[in-house]
Amino acid sequence: MFYNKALDSFLEEAGDISRFTAKFFREFLKPRYEFSEFLRQCFYIGYKSFGLVAVTAFIMGLVITIQSRPTLVEFGAEAWLPKMVSISLIREIAPVITALICAGKIGSGIGAELGSMRVTEQIDAMEVSGTNPFKFLVVTRVTACITMVPILAVLAIAVSLYGAYLGCNIHGVVSWKLFWNQVFETNTFSDVVPAVTKTFFFGLDIGIIGCFKGYFSKKGTEGVGRSANSAVVISSLLIFVLDLVAVQIADLLGFT
Amino acid sequence: MANPTSRNIRLGIFVLAGTVFLIVLLYMIGAKRSLFSDTFRISAQFYNVNGLMQGNNVRFSGINVGIVESVEINTDSTVNVVMLIEDKAKIYIKKNALASIGTDGLMGNKLVNINSMKDGSVAHIEDGDILKTLKPIETDEMLRTLSTTNDNIKVITGDLKNITQKFNKRNSLWSLLQDTIVADNLKEAIVNIKITGARTAIITGDLQEVAKSFKSGKGLMASLLTDTTMAGKLQHTIVKLENASDKIAYVSGDLSGITAKIKDGKGTIGMLITDSLFVKDLKSTMKNLNSGVAGFDDNMEGLKHSFLLKKYFRKQAKLKAKKPN
Repeated sequence: MFYNKALDSFLEEAGDISRFTAKFFREFLKPRYEFSEFLRQCFYIGYKSFGLVAVTAFIMGLVITIQSRPTLVEFGAEAWLPKMVSISLIREIAPVITALICAGKIGSGIGAELGSMRVTEQIDAMEVSGTNPFKFLVVTRVTACITMVPILAVLAIAVSLYGAYLGCNIHGVVSWKLFWNQVFETNTFSDVVPAVTKTFFFGLDIGIIGCFKGYFSKKGTEGVGRSANSAVVISSLLIFVLDLVAVQIADLLGFT
Repeated sequence: MANPTSRNIRLGIFVLAGTVFLIVLLYMIGAKRSLFSDTFRISAQFYNVNGLMQGNNVRFSGINVGIVESVEINTDSTVNVVMLIEDKAKIYIKKNALASIGTDGLMGNKLVNINSMKDGSVAHIEDGDILKTLKPIETDEMLRTLSTTNDNIKVITGDLKNITQKFNKRNSLWSLLQDTIVADNLKEAIVNIKITGARTAIITGDLQEVAKSFKSGKGLMASLLTDTTMAGKLQHTIVKLENASDKIAYVSGDLSGITAKIKDGKGTIGMLITDSLFVKDLKSTMKNLNSGVAGFDDNMEGLKHSFLLKKYFRKQAKLKAKKPN
């Protein structure tokens, strides 16, 4: 249709994903909710991912603090360490790290699971048996992603701030109370609200891409691996794109 | 695999933990921004707010008491800043408090400083009050002033350099400054001057008194100087004295004549004084007289014992003996 095949296939996929997303919202709004399946997915997506996210967030908080210290010491602004680190953790690092970890763990899991179901024709069997496979498989997973990723991100903020607190106390001395006082002093709603809001979109992105790749998996076992792989790659890439868009929107709305 | 109930419980804990932390985070931030405590509004009009923004802190005596709610341009020379202040600070801020734009640290956020004035008799601030403001110190202006100050300092230090160099070159000045004897002498001289001054004061006091008594007409000199009748008398006396002295001259002229005569040996006194022969005669006469008197004494003794006069002498002796009783 356009100048080359790659562009054509990219645009085609983008269109497919858009229609898939639209279908998700349509199906989501229809009655008959698969609530127990939703809870099951929440458990796997949220609870089971927490350990991984917590470790990553803790390390990030610690490392960022240790890395920032020399520069601040150079300026004689060592006292600003909690303020600066908490701003970067809350605004950017904790949400994005959480989303990336989820994209790796959840996105690939969903892609592989749905892909193998498609390949083994379980989805077709569901359709025959009268269950709406889209509602049962896709809507529950995507909704679970949308709800669980923000919670994971918030807990990641908490854990990373604890890591930052420990990081502050490796070389200097910052009391527990002073640290949190500085964190709450420096950060405003305009720091927290956009950061948490964008994680909903990160969750949507992870769920939709994972489900889309898995739901339309082709070519046997090889296709399952490919769909799992591309689910991670595309959703990770989309997380950064969404992050960029979110920053721009937050800036436009005055959340600076 | 665990049963659905325990899975759901763990999920619930997880979700609750996340939600609670989010709420706590938001609440703590809100509490710091004083969004949940009772507040009141005051405003202040500044000439220049130096980049003050909505949400900046408001400090009273260095303590955060609120936030800036809005910053709006009012007229071409005033900017209206509305501040949201916590109710608990209301009792400390007075109506005459002074608002100024400050900076948190050297490069930190802008903030509004409210400082109380010393006069404590003013009423507490109320909702909607407008505070007086202080023109903020601008860095540019400060640097401009500093540069002129620097120029002045440059000139002054140059002069100082010259002066000290001159000092160093001249030993006499140094020795004068360092000489303790000169200093002692000076001290002594000053003490003497002091004493002299004190005495002068006394003398002038006395003089004053004298002058006063002169004026009031006490004493001879005063009467001499002031009394006119006295002057008349004095004149009269002098005239008399003149006459007297004329007479004295006349008398002394007579006297000189007498003495001349005495010298010439005229008269008895003159002879007595001048004639040496007569003196010898006088001496021998006196000797003769003495011997004559001795002879007379013998004659008188003889008379006493003569029968003619015996009776008389006895009577005389008896009278002498009675007299002491």
